[in-house]
Amino acid sequence: MLKLFGAVLIVLAGTLAGLQFAKQYADRPRHIRGLIAALQRLETEIMYGFTPLPEAMRRIGIQSKEPLKTLFIKTAEEMSPPHDRSAQDAIQRAMDSHWKSTALKGTEKEILRQLSCTLGTSDRSNQSTHIALALQQLKQEESVAREDQGKYEKLSKSLGLLLGALIVILIF
Amino acid sequence: MADDWLQLFPEKVRALLKCLPLPLLGMVEEIRVREGRPLEINYSGKYHFLRANGSVTQRPEEAYRPDREDTHRLLDLISNHSLYTMEEELRKGFITIPGGHRIGLAGRTVLSGGGVEHLRDITSFNVRIAREVPGVADKVLPYLLDKGRQRMMHTLILSPPQHGKTTLLRDIARQISLGDLGKREGGRPGMKVGIVDERSEIAGSRRGIPAFDVGPRTDILDGCPKAEGMMMMIRSLSPDVLIADEIGRPEDAEAVTEALHAGISVVASAHGKEVIELARRPGLGGLLEQKMFERYVILHRSEAGLSFRVLDGQKRGLLLISPGDRLGGDLHA
Repeated sequence: MLKLFGAVLIVLAGTLAGLQFAKQYADRPRHIRGLIAALQRLETEIMYGFTPLPEAMRRIGIQSKEPLKTLFIKTAEEMSPPHDRSAQDAIQRAMDSHWKSTALKGTEKEILRQLSCTLGTSDRSNQSTHIALALQQLKQEESVAREDQGKYEKLSKSLGLLLGALIVILIF
Repeated sequence: MADDWLQLFPEKVRALLKCLPLPLLGMVEEIRVREGRPLEINYSGKYHFLRANGSVTQRPEEAYRPDREDTHRLLDLISNHSLYTMEEELRKGFITIPGGHRIGLAGRTVLSGGGVEHLRDITSFNVRIAREVPGVADKVLPYLLDKGRQRMMHTLILSPPQHGKTTLLRDIARQISLGDLGKREGGRPGMKVGIVDERSEIAGSRRGIPAFDVGPRTDILDGCPKAEGMMMMIRSLSPDVLIADEIGRPEDAEAVTEALHAGISVVASAHGKEVIELARRPGLGGLLEQKMFERYVILHRSEAGLSFRVLDGQKRGLLLISPGDRLGGDLHA
């Protein structure tokens, strides 16, 4: 009886782990999409709204969904008094503390980091060029992420279940 | 309010400035930051360099030299991390930050079609600290109101830069807007005042709300070109008195003429030492020739303090107030 209970537990754990992996694959394109939308909004704020960066970041944060929401709001906080950090520092700090809660990977982090170096330090047309570049890179990442999702999402779900089953068989 | 401008500086420079004795800090008028060159401050009309330990010196070789990091950080802070919101300001070469402090900039210009398009590699900053001095207009004001005390006379305030024109204008705006009905018998009622604040220096507006006290009946067109702003004010806000800083271009003169003929009193300021000098300037010559102004106030600030000279429309002297008999309070900005 106890054995059976243990076996069920192992299969359940395997399935859950598989689902977790699958979720990662499903979330990544969604988060990249969110990031793309956020950067597009940032471009509008800069080009047409003349909104200062802290205010723009805050607005984008409010409009975005979690986990990007916290990322942008944290950036806005870092840029406002009393911290008053530069865009580069603020984004870096926000990424350091909140990156783990997103399904995003190192490539996206690097794209954001590169963008943050130029954010707020040049005129509008220059800002727009840099944001457009980042958007283009992100879109590329998005299609890669979607491909991965198609390939691995179902796979990891079933793999989790099967792995659990395999362990059970081996034990018995 | 007192030292809000300190927040503007990068940590290293701020720490240096905080080493200054407090009364001195309260007197600082200008702080000049130049990359790789000595840090300079100006108070009561004299220039000093700052040492790395925060003491003042006259020897440039002992002074603290701000590095690239300092200037970058300073630019980042004064532009609120968003240089792209300052394109127009960079074209003109100065930024006014909330609080009315003006920062003059120099660097490398980028040209487009022969005109200045942008400033880049900004390495020189001149931070002018704005302060309000309520009561600075007390002595002059009675001479600028006409007999019935119902109307302000058309007035031009003249002085070289850094002698307190803007501070005087601000206090005039405050006092005529407030009026002194109820304070004493036969007081004058307050007037509607319109300020065209092209450089956001008079009111120091932040999001449209003045940082300085400019009186309860005062409307401010913030950041608006003077000529256009004066016309907008006349058409839409029916002011009794129009106030504008640093007029000088021909279109400003035209707008002033328009306002005078519309029955609105104009109080304006211009750079200059003498009324005669002004007549030679292309933009303002016409105004003087037609005797548009009824009063001229010439400011002069020396180490002893501030002196006023009031002239009437015929350029005859009416009054001289020298530093000894002023009511107190030093003028800045």
